[in-house]
Parts: sequence; structure tokens; C-alpha cells
Amino acid sequence: MRAALGWLLRGGLLGGLAFLIFGPLANLILWAVAIQWYFPHKLPLSWGFKYWGEVFKPTSDTIAALGTSVLIASITVVVCLLLAVPAGYALGRAQVPGRRLILLLLLLPQAFPNVAVYFNVARLFYMVGLNGTIAGVVLVHAAHGLVIAVWIAAAAFAAIDPELELAARNIGASAGRTALTVTLPLAMPGVTASAIFVFLESLDEFTGTYFVGVPDVTTLPLAMFTASLAGNYQIAAITALVLLVPSVGFMLVVERFLKAEMLAKIG
Amino acid sequence: MGILLLVAPALAMVLALFVYPLAMSLVSAFTTKDGAPSLDNFAKAFELYGNDIVFTLVIVSVSTALTGLFAAAIGGYLILGAHPTAVAILRSLYRWPLFIPFIVAAQCMRTFLAKNGLMNNTLATLGLVNVGSLSGLLDWRGIIVTFVWKETPFVALLVSGAMASLDRATIEAAANLGAGGLRILTEIILPQIAGLMVVGLTLAFVTMLSVLSVPIMISGGSPTMITVDMAFRVNSYGDYGVANALAFVSYVMAGLAAWIYLRRNVADGSGL
Amino acid sequence: MQRTAVLFAALAALALSLPATAQKAVTLNVVTAGDQNMVDYLKDYLGPMFEKEHPGVTVKAVGTGPGDAGSQKIYEKLEAEKANPAWDIDVAVIHQKAAGEMVGKGLLARYSAEIPTGKLVTSEAAKNALGSDVGGYVMPMFNSQTAIAYNTAMVSDPPATYDALEKWVRVNPKKFGYNGIKGGMSGVSFVVGWIYAHSPDTDRLIKGPYDPDTKKSWDPILAELAAFNKNVVLTPGNAGTLDMLNRGEIAMGPVWVDMFYTWQSDGKIPPGVKLKLIGPGMPGQPMYYVVPAKAANAKVAEDFIALATSPKVQADGIVKRFNWYPGIDTAAVKPQLDEASWSKLFVDVTPEDLATKGKPFPIASYFNDILETYERKVQ
Repeated sequence: MRAALGWLLRGGLLGGLAFLIFGPLANLILWAVAIQWYFPHKLPLSWGFKYWGEVFKPTSDTIAALGTSVLIASITVVVCLLLAVPAGYALGRAQVPGRRLILLLLLLPQAFPNVAVYFNVARLFYMVGLNGTIAGVVLVHAAHGLVIAVWIAAAAFAAIDPELELAARNIGASAGRTALTVTLPLAMPGVTASAIFVFLESLDEFTGTYFVGVPDVTTLPLAMFTASLAGNYQIAAITALVLLVPSVGFMLVVERFLKAEMLAKIG
Repeated sequence: MGILLLVAPALAMVLALFVYPLAMSLVSAFTTKDGAPSLDNFAKAFELYGNDIVFTLVIVSVSTALTGLFAAAIGGYLILGAHPTAVAILRSLYRWPLFIPFIVAAQCMRTFLAKNGLMNNTLATLGLVNVGSLSGLLDWRGIIVTFVWKETPFVALLVSGAMASLDRATIEAAANLGAGGLRILTEIILPQIAGLMVVGLTLAFVTMLSVLSVPIMISGGSPTMITVDMAFRVNSYGDYGVANALAFVSYVMAGLAAWIYLRRNVADGSGL
Repeated sequence: MQRTAVLFAALAALALSLPATAQKAVTLNVVTAGDQNMVDYLKDYLGPMFEKEHPGVTVKAVGTGPGDAGSQKIYEKLEAEKANPAWDIDVAVIHQKAAGEMVGKGLLARYSAEIPTGKLVTSEAAKNALGSDVGGYVMPMFNSQTAIAYNTAMVSDPPATYDALEKWVRVNPKKFGYNGIKGGMSGVSFVVGWIYAHSPDTDRLIKGPYDPDTKKSWDPILAELAAFNKNVVLTPGNAGTLDMLNRGEIAMGPVWVDMFYTWQSDGKIPPGVKLKLIGPGMPGQPMYYVVPAKAANAKVAEDFIALATSPKVQADGIVKRFNWYPGIDTAAVKPQLDEASWSKLFVDVTPEDLATKGKPFPIASYFNDILETYERKVQ
């Protein structure tokens, strides 16, 4: 009897949780396949894929925005890794003077609400002609992703057994060669994880692009935002689903790379 | 010295794209359009948006508290839960919102939480509430719901990771002595992972202070978060002075959270 | 590992070089403020039409968002590139307030006398933008009007004046919604209409001269609006109000007539919702086509605007497809349309309504005062 009640409670709570987690997502899917939906109907009046046609036609804004988003995200990953891997290596393995201070400085962007910083960056970019350009948006995304990238890279490098490096040095490899051929490959899972994070963060980034990119650079989140505020819920819902594909897809991939101990090392 | 060269580019980026704009922001907040130092911007900011400033603090604090509560509960159940099926279900359920970007979450919630939205309609269909007495949650409460929805999985992930790497001996010892689940959670587990909880909640707090998409899309009018007011000030009037005054207020709020984090981490010398 | 690095570098180099590849044909950059329907108009209707008549020209249309914020973005962009030899906006579509500011700053070209359709506009709106003289610099794209939309299923006898609305809202709390002054001009219009309704001297607000002390007299008026707001729902914007009407969450709200009709024809508003222009009046505004002073393709821009303001396009595009009132003189447009298409604009809001209750916005300085007093007293 008590067991049954226990299961009822557990079931109820888990069911409630499932509703709260999946309800909003289900709503999104409903709007993606609705054509007409108004009060007082609880469900759409007519269903169909009419708006999918509109969203995916080759000249549509959404396809262009998707292309822009992927382009920006790709370049951001390259820029970020170019800066983060050396920094992560230094901070994770070597004795860097002022290590605490440097870490603090790199942590700073995470500690400040970035809306404020972004509209000032936009103003700065106006002055140097970077506002409304892809390069400008990439810089903003890269700066945002840099912190996570350095953290994860440093943690990945720190987790490598120094014995392996010593072994390479012992047989005559230089410091640089050891770093490139021994240490870096060993840290690859972590570096890849940080690349994925940076890519996703850039793809989903909204606030920075809202100030720096408008009106010339439209990323997918911006397109979704505009559609939503204009009341085009069907288009907003479909665009949102497109945005979700890489995120949910990578969720499965990331689970492989992010082990619990490495997570505990962060921060 | 060569080592520092490795770190220099990253530092340069932070300096150029963060420290310098931050300095610009501070200067702009504390001077008039002609460059004379003054507190006029702050006076105007408080006069027009004082209400929103209070509400921002309330919204983010309540959201952080709720997030901490739910994350601890989820983490606790994952560690202590006696029924493997229920634990497995919970583990697969709770992570979903983590990978939904804020802006998509805002769009979902916009229709879900509305007066005639899916949530109310479902509750009404199930007979759990009376439709006439319902109101939409599309105001500051909706912002809290969205924030908690988004941030709980993140903090819960950190927390459950930390709990998993704890020494089970302490837990089993307490269980053997007859302590119930809740007591083990609050007296044995949470104190040991308090550091990581603080980290996670601090990050969540600052993240929430930075979000623009959620308040713009969910809450129509006042009170709203000051991020919306900042954007409004900049976009509609080009008034960087007042916008930066509001920004300064948000820095102070974040500063509180960061100070707690620093005290915690630099003190025990843990972390990176 | 090395291969991946090379691949990344190649990708980055390729991507960064893309913008540099020269465009052989002419790209006409059109930037428009306003809601999505403005961008749709350019992308789906006007752009393709112009491209067909001018092979070799590609029309690139970009939207900056609704309300004065959208126009402000265009203003800021032109200000920022002031010193450059050629600017990257060829045609801009902006609100009245921004037009006045931009003419004042010398950012716009004087072009309407050069195009054939320039003489088809004789209205005051083409010469005066909220008190600033803009004659010659602008061509109206359309005229729009705000009105109160109400759901006949929930409201059988809609109020006819602001006073009646105030009483109605007290008896029916939370059934009226508008967006305040953020996120869209429909809410701003409502607030301006409120001031007009309670102000003794509306003419001076509209024509000037400006008296900085007038705003003190608005304090009690807006205090009443604050009390009014307690019984209403605040929506996120123009589309937000329409959306709530759609979902039956509010029964009445101020809307732009054109947006309303477009939404209704898209099935986003139930057929039982109608419009009413309440007294003593509600504002409306034109939006202007302008050519920036140093536009890179000024001649093509002028041709574009000439097409956009031709009677045929005004009739077919502006009135018939997008439900706006024409920007050029009615006498030039009406003969181009059949009776049904013309009258559908005037079903709920008749020409007499427009003549007596359609008002312009106040002059820019009063306009800013109203917005600021609202922020101080009502929010």
C-alpha cells in the first residue's frame, strides 16, 4: 500500500516535471505545424506545412540567416581556439607568473552582465567601422566564448599525466615538439569539447549580435526574434526548431566528452 | 617570458573587447554629453527606472534561489534515490532545457504561459483549474519561470557531478545511523559541495542579469528588467548616458555575486 | 591533426575573403524601419518588380525594427559613416521624427523635385515632419492610421471616445491592452491621443510654437493615465496587441489599420474583430522614402522611389496588397483601383472619420516631452 502510494507520488512528480520540461517544447512544435490558430480554439484550426515552404524556400531570410550563423560560428571557433589553446596550455601545465591574476582577468567577462558591455562595444565598433560586419560579430562571439574555451582547455591540459611528456623529453624531443605531438593530441577530447561549446554558444548568441550586427548581419536567433515580435509565430517556431537541431544533436556528443571529474575541476 | 606570449593574445582580446568598452561605459555613465563629470544620468535612471531596478534584483534573486533549491533536490534524488527506474527517468529528463538557447526558451514560454496558452489550457482540460479564474504568467513571474527552467539543469548538472565524486562512505555511514534522505542531503552532502553550488549559482545569477531576449519577449511592460530599459534607451534615443548608468547598477549587482564567488574560491585555493 | 589545422585555416581565409569579391552588378541597399510588413513589401513585391524593369540591379532589403528605434538605427548608421566618400544605404524608409533630425543634420539628398512623381504629392505631410521642414527631401510611402480594434464577440457596444473608454475599462478590467511606449508606435499613438483628448490646445501641440512649460500641465493628465493603466494589460508591442486580440486575451486595443487588415487576411485575427476610430482623434503617420546625401547609387535610388510612388504601384501594392492608405494624392491613386478594393480600406474607418479624427503626431519637441513625461509619471 505504502509502496503504491510512493509510486503514485513519484509518478506524479516525474509526470509533472515532464510536463513542465516538454510542454513548452510541445507548444513550439504545435505552432510549427499550425496554419490557423485563434481563440477560443485550444488547438490549431488548420494544420499543415505551408510555413515550412515559406521558411525553406531558397530566397528566404531564414536560409540566409542560417548560412550567416554557421559561417560566423565556424570562424569564431577557429579564432577562439587559436587564442585559447596556447593560453590553456600555459595555464594548465606551465608555471605562469601571475597565474591567479591572469585567470581572474580572463574570468572577468563572465562576471559582468554583458548587455551593458555589448552596446558599448557596438559604439566602439561604430567608430572603427566594424559595426554591422561579420568580422565584428565574430570578434564579439569569440570574446564571449574565450573564457569557456580557456577554462576547458586548461582543465584538459592539467589532466594530462606529466610522465608522458617527460618520457618524450627524455628521448630527445624539444619542448615545442612535445607540446604539439604529445600533449595536444592527449588534450584533444577536451579541446574538441571546448570547440563544440564555442560553436554552440556562437550559433545561439543573441544579445551581442542584436547590438553589433543589426541591421546588416542577421543570424538565426535574430531572425527568430524578429519573427516572434512581429507575431509570425509559425515562422518563429520553425526557425526555433532549426536552431535546436545542432544543440540537441551535440547534447549527445558532449555527453561523451564531458566526464564528471572534469566538470568538477571547472571553477 | 615565452610562456606569457602564449597567454598574451587571449588577454589582448579581453582587454580590447571587454575592459576598454567597460571603461567607456563607466566614463559615459558618470559624465554629461559634453564630458563634464556629473551624476545626472543616475538621477534620471533612478527617476525613470527605479522600479525596474528593484524588480531586476527581485527577479534574479528569486530565480537563483529557486534554481538552487531545485538543483539540490534533483542532484540529491539522483544520488540517494532508491528506485533505479525513477532515477534513470529523472536523469534523462532534467537535462533537456540545458540545450535550448534562451531565445528559443523565451519563444516557447511566450505561448505556453499565456492566458490562453498551452499550460492553462491543459490544466483546464484536465479539470485541475477553473478557466475563468486564470491569468497569464506573461509578466515578471513568467521571466522567473523561464530563468528557473533554463538554469536549473545547468546547476543540477554541476551539482550532481560534484555529488557523484563524493566519498560514499560518509553517506552510507549516515544512512546506517538511521538518517533519512532529506537529512543526509542537507547535513552531509550539501555542505561538502557548497563551494561548487556557490560557483554554479553565481554563474547563473550573472547570466540571468545578462539576458535580453527573455524579458523583451515575455514581459510586455513595467515592471521589467533593466536590460530592456538599457536597450530601449540606446535604440530609441541614442541616450548612452542613462543606459550606462543603468549598466553600472547591473555591474554592482553582479559585483555582489562575484565577490561571494571570489571569497569562496580564492580562499580555499581550489579551482584552476 | 596538422591536416585539420590547415583545413580550418583555409576555411577561415576563404570565408574572410568572401565579402571582398567584387559585385559586377549594382546592388541597391534599401533599409527600412517598421514592422515586418515593411520588409515583406520590399522583398516580395517592390524589389522583384524593380529588378525586372532594371536588369543588372539587385535589391537588397533590410529591416531595422519597429518604432522610432528602427529609424534611430538608420540615423546612427549614417551619422557614423558621415566622413566616408560613399555611404552604404541607397534608399531608407523612416519615420517622421528621424526624417526631421536627418534633414537638420544634412544627411539627406534633396531629390523629390527630380523625379516625375514628385508633383503627385501635395499634402502637408510631405513638407512638414513634426515641425521640421522636409520639403523636397522626402516622398511619403504611405499614410497610416491607428484605431481601436475590438472583438464583437466580447464587446457589443464599443466606446466612441477616450472618456467613454476610460469608464469602460473601469467596468471591464484587464480587457483592454496596449504596449505602453516601448516596442511599437501603436501604444505611443494611444498615449498621444490621450494627451490630445485631455489637452485644451491640441493645435499648438501639432503646429507649434514649442513651450517647454507645457509639459507641466500634463502631469495630472498622465497621472490619470497611470490610474487607467492599472486596469489594462500591457502588451509587448504592435504585434503583441494584435496577438492578444487573436488569442482572446484582450477584447480591445489600439492597432495600425494596415497591420490589422493584413493580419486578418492571413487568418491571424478572428473575422469578428472590427475597428473604431475614437474621438476626439487618434494619430496616424506617413513613412518617408529618403535618399541619403552620399548614397553610392543615388540615381538608381531615385528610380526606385519613382517606381514606388507611381500611381500604379501605390494602388496595387500599397492599397490593395498591403492595406495602407496611399502616400501620394488620393486623386492620383483612386482611379487605378476598382470600387471594391478602394472601399475595403474604409469599411470601419470612413473618410469622414479620417478627416475629423485622424490627427498628425505633435511636433518633435512636444513628442519627446510626452514620451519622457510618460516614463516619469506612468511607468
